[in-house]
Amino acid sequence: MLKVTNIGKAYGKFTALENINLEVADGEFLAIMGPSGSGKSTLINILGLLDQSYTGEYLLKNKNYKTVSDNFLSRIRGDQLGFVFQNFKLLTTYNVYENIEIPLIYSKKEQNNKRELIEDVIEKVGLKGKEKNRPSELSGGQQQRVAIARAIVNHPNLVIADEPTGALDSKTSKEIMDIFTKLNQDGTTIIMVTHDSEVAEYAMRTVYIRDGRLYNDEKSVKKS
Amino acid sequence: MTDKILIAFKSIGKNKNRNFLTMLGIIIGIASVICILAIGDGFAHTVTKGMGNHNTRNKVVIMYQPTTDDNTDGGFTNNDEAVLEKIPGVEQVKLASSVVEAGAKAQYKTKNVTMSLNKQPKHLKLVKGDYFQMSGASNGVYISEDLAHKLFKKNVLNRLISIDGTVFVVQGIYHISDMNYRPDAYVSKTIFKQLFANQISKDEARLSVEPKANKKWIGKRAVKQMKKMGEQKNIGTYKVSNPDQVSKQFTKILNDITYFIAFIAGISLLIAGIGVMNVMYITVSERRKEIGIRRAFGATSNDIRNQFLIESVVLCVIGGVIGIIFGYLLVAIINAFLPFKAVITAYALILSLSVSTAVGLIFGFIPSNKAAKSELVGLLKEE
Repeated sequence: MLKVTNIGKAYGKFTALENINLEVADGEFLAIMGPSGSGKSTLINILGLLDQSYTGEYLLKNKNYKTVSDNFLSRIRGDQLGFVFQNFKLLTTYNVYENIEIPLIYSKKEQNNKRELIEDVIEKVGLKGKEKNRPSELSGGQQQRVAIARAIVNHPNLVIADEPTGALDSKTSKEIMDIFTKLNQDGTTIIMVTHDSEVAEYAMRTVYIRDGRLYNDEKSVKKS
Repeated sequence: MTDKILIAFKSIGKNKNRNFLTMLGIIIGIASVICILAIGDGFAHTVTKGMGNHNTRNKVVIMYQPTTDDNTDGGFTNNDEAVLEKIPGVEQVKLASSVVEAGAKAQYKTKNVTMSLNKQPKHLKLVKGDYFQMSGASNGVYISEDLAHKLFKKNVLNRLISIDGTVFVVQGIYHISDMNYRPDAYVSKTIFKQLFANQISKDEARLSVEPKANKKWIGKRAVKQMKKMGEQKNIGTYKVSNPDQVSKQFTKILNDITYFIAFIAGISLLIAGIGVMNVMYITVSERRKEIGIRRAFGATSNDIRNQFLIESVVLCVIGGVIGIIFGYLLVAIINAFLPFKAVITAYALILSLSVSTAVGLIFGFIPSNKAAKSELVGLLKEE
């Protein structure tokens, strides 16, 4: 699915990432763990095609997107990737339905029935009946479910989650991770950044990042 | 596109007060444009309609002008009419008068006054006396306050005055305001026709010419003939009336006025445009998080640019539509005071909407471009 070779990134004299090599297989659930400031977010921005200013090689489905136009990258993000952010990043003036609809507005994929797609994911994340609610009327867990629904509504190949449980309590975190697990079981490839080892245990494999270097790239055994 | 227009409406609705204040400039500007065009079109319509009587396609009009102001009697005679009819290419000649009033001399005891008079109108507001349509041979007369002052000291009603030797009884007095022109006296229709209508000099000869005739040549020939054979040639001059030129001069003056007011409306729209640009900058700054989310989920920089441009255009078009409605109301009010009717044409509506759209596009472009060019990672850090 995804292969990066010798990725590096520097902010002036500060090296944020150095010599990152990583391969993610189709259908894999990968956790990237590391403390604050280790370069997790920088790495995930590059993996999610949100940041193009890096050195090294990036292959998504064996295609190199290093030199493509900004507009083309947007299309790839819209059609092949889905994002879940730590602070949900929902539009507060839009209701649940409208938030989930956003990727479909820009997608070039053929969609026969937008409404059906949205209703389908709303049911999948357990938010049926909340379509008209604004994010401010929902709990943290429910807001993250909306964010997940938004990430998967366009059936992406890869879902990238940046600290998806960072703003949630442990009970809600478990509910959210159950949704991720189910998604992965249905065939979606997931890369998740977390600093919480309990959350990382939901992944098939965990890699560790510290001071911009990736290490301990060993398959871990899913315990739960 | 529909999605983007809906998003634009949603965003505008979110900050109603702020956006309404921004729209005010557009509303005033567009309402001014509507008024200017309506007055201009109405005036042009009235002028061209007035000209139309003279300016019919197959007509040549010869005007007679007395040499001095005292000689108001001169004009075309029946003999002149016969001479003009003989000019090759002329089908028919009709003598007419550019004025409808007759000049006469009024006398009361030893006082003599030169005055103008006409047949009585349907309605007339009197200061003294009762107004009614006088019967055929009635010798009643309605006179102006001004004439009354010249002739009598007081007790005006039912006094006898002589107008060109005929005795009339004063039935009532009317006031002539500064805004409204009226002759000095009114008599009954029949009396006017019998005694005074013939005195009105025929100072216009309207020549109906053959469709293929050379109007310019006929005009020149007619003036030449009249200068040679005209019965009143010694006390006046003849010339070809050129309504086209008069019409052109009117149009030019009108255009100059229109350009001047349009310039002022333009400045108003420029200021409104700067307001739109300002509010769009604020909108872009406030919605950095939204831009980041949309871009992360597939929106290209072009989508973002278009989104904000559409928003700017929708804002201006809403302002434009309100401006048009406001303009309609203003024109209705203005029409109550204008001597002609201001008309709103489809062209004015199309122009107003085009101007609104243009203001939105021009002044929304730079903020929209700023939104489109923002760095994605930075946008996603916004909370």
